[in-house]
Amino acid sequence: MNRWLNSHLQTLKQVIARWRQHLFSNLLISLTIAVTLALPVIVYLVLTSFSHLTSTIQSDSHISVFLSSSATPTTIDSIHNILTTKEMIAQFHFVPKAEALKQLMMDSNNSNIISTLPENPLPDAFFIEPKSLASEAIEQLKNELAQLDGVEAVQVDDAWLKRLSYLLTLGQKALLVLASLLGFALFMVIGNTIRMQILTQQEEIEVSQLIGATHRFIRRPFLYAGAIYGFVGALFALIISTAVIALFNLSISALATAYQSDFSLRLPSLEVTLITCLTAIGIGLFSAYFAVAKSLFKSIQ
Amino acid sequence: MIVLDNVTKRYPGSQDVLSNASLQIEQGEMVYVTGHSGAGKSTLLKLIAAIERPSNGTVLINQQNVSKLRESALPYIRRKFGLVFQDHKLLYDRSCFHNVALPLAINGITGADAAKRIRAALDKVGLLHKEKMMPITLSGGEQQRLAIARAVVSRPSILIADEPTGHLDQTYADDILSLFSAFQQVGVTVIIATHDALTTAKQPHKVLHLNQGRLSMPEVSV
Ligand SMILES: Nc1ncnc2c1ncn2[C@@H]1O[C@H](COP(=O)(O)OP(=O)(O)OP(=O)(O)O)[C@@H](O)[C@H]1O
Ligand SMILES: [Mg+2]
Repeated sequence: MNRWLNSHLQTLKQVIARWRQHLFSNLLISLTIAVTLALPVIVYLVLTSFSHLTSTIQSDSHISVFLSSSATPTTIDSIHNILTTKEMIAQFHFVPKAEALKQLMMDSNNSNIISTLPENPLPDAFFIEPKSLASEAIEQLKNELAQLDGVEAVQVDDAWLKRLSYLLTLGQKALLVLASLLGFALFMVIGNTIRMQILTQQEEIEVSQLIGATHRFIRRPFLYAGAIYGFVGALFALIISTAVIALFNLSISALATAYQSDFSLRLPSLEVTLITCLTAIGIGLFSAYFAVAKSLFKSIQ
Repeated sequence: MIVLDNVTKRYPGSQDVLSNASLQIEQGEMVYVTGHSGAGKSTLLKLIAAIERPSNGTVLINQQNVSKLRESALPYIRRKFGLVFQDHKLLYDRSCFHNVALPLAINGITGADAAKRIRAALDKVGLLHKEKMMPITLSGGEQQRLAIARAVVSRPSILIADEPTGHLDQTYADDILSLFSAFQQVGVTVIIATHDALTTAKQPHKVLHLNQGRLSMPEVSV
């Protein structure tokens, strides 16, 4: 165990020494990796900022509850009582049908038509302003309200919210495609770099194999190199995306103040940092493994 | 113990380089492989060291059949051997010290323990004072001795040297041969391919003579 750990440490030291020998070109490669990684990270951060926005922003969006024409004052009262107990509701008000008709009559065009009607066609209605705009919570509230006695229809005015969330879903799909494509690019960049290294160390690999090195032993330093490219690339990528988001936020904050909002794009969280690093290291290991498998073991038989 | 039974070796596209060779080498023996250039000496050594597999016949190393071993088991067989290659195969991108370190690293030996053994091996071939030098700065004979240091550093039970005295003058050649004898005396099997062994060897030894891939074992008197 000790020996095993020791030889891993030794390999790591050796790989880091080699890294520093070609510091400049390795930094350039890491920057290439970083730019490739930073793109999906930035898109992800922008998307999550907006999807967070849809669940916190207050708007004039509301729920209209239309009562059936047969609703008696007692049913209206009991609905009123139920609404006051709902956590989800910020505020609401009741508009009786007579009131609604009066408002409608104020428009002279309408008044002519309406006065020809035998009776008031409008229903009593509650207008509700929900606390949260999370679409699931609203959907649930809507269903609960529709179940109530005397309720004819429940209508949610959240068309723009729906549109935004469709856009966000589309954005998430695009992000997935972008991340896969760039992941593949990363795989190729690291793989090619490792293949170049293998070429310069072909003699060492050959001799090592002749005197009893296992495939695992030969693969090990290249796996470390791949992982290090991924890790350093990920660190640079996080720096780049933090800088870009901070730059965006400068102009957004001016805009947001004008709209009296404190909206800003989110910086990489711990979770994003970890996932970026682990993904990059994973891709580095994976592509190094393939590069070694393809380039090695030609020397014998 | 090393046993070859009716071994034939062909390289892809070549004729038989070795035909129907049978031999047996006991642990601790000193063996010379002789023959003209192209006779198949290096090929025979590579078969013994599990670097090449026979086209026909069996090669047994300590009862293990090399021809039947899985690819992944071969490295462990190869570690039993210390190899001095005909073309040295030194690594020119690192110092003498680090060249000798390679077999130890493969065996998982690093650090102070390794350094001690590397210096001991370099000392044996008279290169201790050049441990920090790059192999390219060494003379032909010194490079050959460095290759020997690398072969013996992991204390193999079988030492195989392909023309280890080729570049050396008589004094150094004698030195190297007595070095090999010293290994043999502590129980190491020593197998040496050479053009001129018969004239220089002073120890009792066995000779395997190759002539165009055919093996014969002339009697040797010492
Ligand atoms: N990898 C190979 N592929 C094809 N032919 C080979 C290969 N290695 C050796 N040979 C052929 O096998 C024959 C024997 O080669 P080998 O190297 O065993 O000879 P040798 O006795 O060691 O010669 P020398 O004294 O010149 O080193 C030669 O004719 C050579 O061309
Ligand atoms: Mg030869």
